Amino acid sequence: MNPATRRTFLGQSGFSLGSAALASLLGNGTSFASADHPDTPYFAAKAKRVIFLCMAGGPSHLETFDYKPKLNELDGKPMPESFTKGQPIAQLQGQELQVLGHQTEFKKYGKSGLMVSDYLPWTAKMADDIAVVKSMVTEQINHDPAHTFMNTGTVISGRPSMGSWVNYGLGSMSEDLPGFVVLTSVGGRNPQPIASRQWSSGFLPGKYQGVEFNSAGDPVHYVSNPKGVSAGQQAALVDAISQLDRKRNSIVGNPEIDTRIAAYEMAFRMQTSVPGLMDISEEPQAVLDLYGAKPGDGSYASNCLLARRLAERGVRFIHLYHRGWDHHGDLKKYMDICCGLTDRPTWALLTDLKQRGLLDDTLVIWGGEFGRTPMFQGKGGAGRDHHIKGFSMWMAGGGIKGGTSYGETDELGYNAVGNVVHVRDLHATMLHQLGIDGNRFTFPFQGLDMKLTGVEKAKVIKDLI
Amino acid sequence: MTRHCTLLSPGLYPVESVIVPCLLFVFTALCSAGELDFNRDIRPILSDKCFFCHGPDSHERKADLRLDTPDGAKSVITAGKPGESEAMARILDKEDPMPPLDSHKSLTKKEIDLISRWIKEGAEFEDYWAYVPPVKHDFPAVSDNDWPLNWIDHFILYRLGQEGLSPSPEADKTTIIRRLYFDLIGLPPTPQQADDFLSGRKSYINVVDELLASPHFGERMAMYWLDLVRYADTVGYHGDQDHNISPYRDYVIRSFNRNLPFDQFTIEQLAGDLLEQPDKWQSVASGYNRLLQTSHEGGIQAKEYNAIYAADRVRNVSAVWMGATVGCAQCHDHKYDPYTIKDHYSLAAYFADIHDDGYNGNALPTNRPPEMIFLSDQLESDLAVIRAKMEDLAGTEIQPEIEKYITNRTALEKSLLVGKKSKKAVEKQLKEIELEIENRFPENKKAAWRNLRSKEKQILNSGRRTMITSAEPPRTMRVLPRGNWQDDSGETVRPGVPEFLGSIPGHTRLDLARWLTDPENGVGGLTARVFANRFWYLFFGTGISSSLADFGGQGQPPVNPELLDNLAVFFYENGWDSKAMVKLLVTSRAYRQSSIASPELLARDPYNQLVARQSRYRLPAEVIRDNALAVSNLLIKETGGTSVKPYQPAGYYRHLNFPKRQYKNHDDKRQWRRGVYVHWQRMFLHPMMKAMDAPSREECTAERPRSNTPNAALVLLNDPTFVEAARVLAQRILIEGGSNFDDRLEFAYQAVLNRPPDTGEKSVFQSLLEKTGNTYLKSPETADQLIATGLSPTPPDLDPVELASWTAVARGLINLNETITRN
Repeated sequence: MNPATRRTFLGQSGFSLGSAALASLLGNGTSFASADHPDTPYFAAKAKRVIFLCMAGGPSHLETFDYKPKLNELDGKPMPESFTKGQPIAQLQGQELQVLGHQTEFKKYGKSGLMVSDYLPWTAKMADDIAVVKSMVTEQINHDPAHTFMNTGTVISGRPSMGSWVNYGLGSMSEDLPGFVVLTSVGGRNPQPIASRQWSSGFLPGKYQGVEFNSAGDPVHYVSNPKGVSAGQQAALVDAISQLDRKRNSIVGNPEIDTRIAAYEMAFRMQTSVPGLMDISEEPQAVLDLYGAKPGDGSYASNCLLARRLAERGVRFIHLYHRGWDHHGDLKKYMDICCGLTDRPTWALLTDLKQRGLLDDTLVIWGGEFGRTPMFQGKGGAGRDHHIKGFSMWMAGGGIKGGTSYGETDELGYNAVGNVVHVRDLHATMLHQLGIDGNRFTFPFQGLDMKLTGVEKAKVIKDLI
Repeated sequence: MTRHCTLLSPGLYPVESVIVPCLLFVFTALCSAGELDFNRDIRPILSDKCFFCHGPDSHERKADLRLDTPDGAKSVITAGKPGESEAMARILDKEDPMPPLDSHKSLTKKEIDLISRWIKEGAEFEDYWAYVPPVKHDFPAVSDNDWPLNWIDHFILYRLGQEGLSPSPEADKTTIIRRLYFDLIGLPPTPQQADDFLSGRKSYINVVDELLASPHFGERMAMYWLDLVRYADTVGYHGDQDHNISPYRDYVIRSFNRNLPFDQFTIEQLAGDLLEQPDKWQSVASGYNRLLQTSHEGGIQAKEYNAIYAADRVRNVSAVWMGATVGCAQCHDHKYDPYTIKDHYSLAAYFADIHDDGYNGNALPTNRPPEMIFLSDQLESDLAVIRAKMEDLAGTEIQPEIEKYITNRTALEKSLLVGKKSKKAVEKQLKEIELEIENRFPENKKAAWRNLRSKEKQILNSGRRTMITSAEPPRTMRVLPRGNWQDDSGETVRPGVPEFLGSIPGHTRLDLARWLTDPENGVGGLTARVFANRFWYLFFGTGISSSLADFGGQGQPPVNPELLDNLAVFFYENGWDSKAMVKLLVTSRAYRQSSIASPELLARDPYNQLVARQSRYRLPAEVIRDNALAVSNLLIKETGGTSVKPYQPAGYYRHLNFPKRQYKNHDDKRQWRRGVYVHWQRMFLHPMMKAMDAPSREECTAERPRSNTPNAALVLLNDPTFVEAARVLAQRILIEGGSNFDDRLEFAYQAVLNRPPDTGEKSVFQSLLEKTGNTYLKSPETADQLIATGLSPTPPDLDPVELASWTAVARGLINLNETITRN
């Protein structure tokens, strides 16, 4: 991309050099022509930030967005072998495969007539705001590798997560917060383990690493002063350390020391800014009610509200995980729980962002690491196994055309058959909305030009933008 | 010139503070305009810009043209005549240039000129440097014969001369003694140890010999080795359960301490189980093959994970020993290096005899046969005593009778560990045998026997389980087209080494290990060069080739290839003697230089590849911990043992499941053990370690990044480990440091930095002490809170306000840049 265009884009984003310099001190790269990645291929962006709502465990597309009349017809009958022969299967390996009909009803909503299941009455209200992709495919059938694949575009450990990539490409917009923040919640079936690898910066510099904000205890590790140390005492200490480092530097001329001093000063600022940010009790009651959030409860609802607060404060990539969607059994019961915990807050987040004019430049993405089989699994009551050949995700805001349904699966919801969207295409589309050409956005590692979108060429889903 | 252009590409350096504006200047400075060198000047251009389509990968190859061999290139290159070479015409074609526009690669004018000049001068190819066995080179003559202390210095000084640079003066003695201690044992010198050297009571060589003989030398080397082989305490995927492996770490530490020759070290790890009658340690060493990430997730497909594990082992063994990225040939022939997809699977086939099934269940720790019970030397001798007593009791009459039962029992017990038989059935059999044995004894001896037997069992049970390798009939290994584990159409392969590197008759891991370390009949010379480079990195801060794990075409050629060759030959000719290698490096003049660089020198050579000075860098994560514990005297200096759990933020493991778990820090002296023993949870590495750039050890790490972030600052400021260390250091200051401010601060500086404070430093600390002290005087209860940090008891007779105030001073010292920097 030609540098002039890029400069224009950045100029429009309203950055100042001062904030860029400060942001770099915090360890989030610069928002200006960054020394880290001068060649990022930029063009005009629709979105400035991403909120990724990861429904960890893999929600069933067949109980959310993908309605298949034939599935109900064949309920309880053997699954036609033509679908499953030679296909990777997780826990149902070696078992007799039986079709499981939809466990709920579907209706059309909004002007667009988008089909949404009864489990998601609040999502249904935003039918004209979201674009559902019904033809997602991924390559990994077990949770841990599938998350890694969704986040990094590969299953090999040690690769950067998309939040790190985005911050590497665009830099931070915040002066006192990390550019990539992770929040997690639980509720539903046995929660999926999530490795910190999922927000690792991999081979990118450590400053792009995702920082997990905790709802209980220290919001960020070690952000509180030791017991018995007041803010004033801590300030005096940090001041003394900086003075001494500066003095020493006059003897040894070590440029690293300046960075270290800046890191200490920024650390001290985080000590005050982060707890303030995390304290949602200062929000008006109406806003808390909108989300159904209670201060300090660590719920998905609170995390959605925090996501908005982080978005307002310039955090570039906000990644929420709700861990409870692995419904091998008792699907109805657990769908009730998971949707009960997430449906309304997700709606509230979109509504709130919209009210504040933030949705236009915030790309919101919803989905799990995979979907679930059209086949029955019975760990407890009826459930479904992992499924990677076709599942649903949605996007909203950030230049995405709401009220769209894109792609489709076959008559039983097994294989994505029309307008198939691979994970790398999702990445490419996300990057495109952020103004980055995913196929040219690289970092040299082990002699290769590494990309988030991987080796194969990724395509932007043009019909959604 | 080009070599350094790629060499110094900032992206390749994980260092956070890259000094970009200087780079252009550096290129011109480092690259002399002398003779062209194919490997240094031309190959990197061809590799980066051409080989993707015209390289070793026959599937991707376009126009049936390959430019990585002279035969392949001759159709487009006419030696001596760039003007008549099709290659040049295509490069210069404005409409349809090479590389093509859609490749997003382009050649700079300098690169084009170099290629043109190369063709003009005859277009000579050379064998790739990393595949040519190292040979000994003569020491170059240097202008100043007084400077070199050993032959390394000849190469360094000569190279500096070529660049018009001079070496730096020797560092001051305080810097030297601290450098030696941190580099060789990963601990700071005590004031006494520093004084022994500063006063001349101990010479430089005395100190070096002493440190090489220290049990902490092995710990320091192990920190690096464990990164390479991705040693961790947990399985790494999904439930990230603990697994049994800590004796392997003891083996590594012990091997470096005993200076086990590196070839033997290699053989024991890759193939300890295949040695004739492996001893206890060789069995433990074979645990190397079990270090990879594994999954115990329900619903995983064994076949898929066999493929994942096979690829993991290929990536690791090739990165560690060959400095190669053979893992890149999992789906297709390597794009830049001559490794074929078949090479990948042939290498994997060596490991097809390792037990990889049955990783199911959520047991904590996992039970992953084959395992063995590891007994410490103490337990072994206790066991010998008990067994002697048992023999005495049995006497010459009973002993022969029970012998066969005991043999049988031992075999059955072992079968439980290797997991080949049903547990229930074996346990039943064992019970019967116990009874049989007991029944051989007369009534009056039965109780005594039972008593001894229970002691014997007790000892055996207090041993540590550890995963080992025990060869099984190998699984069929076939080439997986596109790396697809469901595709059975690929040819089956036998174990074999990469074809272009030759072939060997044997097909076992033992054969592979010997091939890797045999300079005559294998690639031992190449392996020695990979490790010579890493030794250099450990003691000079950067490699002679900066690509510590990739000696392939996209890696960086060495800046001083003759020096690297000589070091490699030195290593294997000296019987792969690691300590001799380290001693050679640290007794060079180059090593003893000051690390203070003028801005000009920093600009000329920011990564210090030419070694016109020493390097300075932040200490590794483990050493930052060890240093704080050492200066406060909290450090427990025992070596070996199980992993330890330091204080950790509550709830940090809440994302783990299968099973859910709560972290409980150790509440005994294990709290203050060295960082190398810290529990390594792959999915959630201790946040202190992580903030200081320790890797998760999911993959081989040959070089850690050295970042400088606010998170790291928060750790040093607020992590209870460091606050406690500061509090206990403050106790020392008050108890041992005299009674007035000056004496106490002097004591503190000597303890932490081995030097006295200057007047400016005194006044900063005096003011901090006063400010902090005033607050504590007003609210003494907060002083009580601070000094209660940590498990270590607080002496009751110290004034809490004074102790808390001095704790602030100690925290200041522990947080200084100088404290955590190796100069």
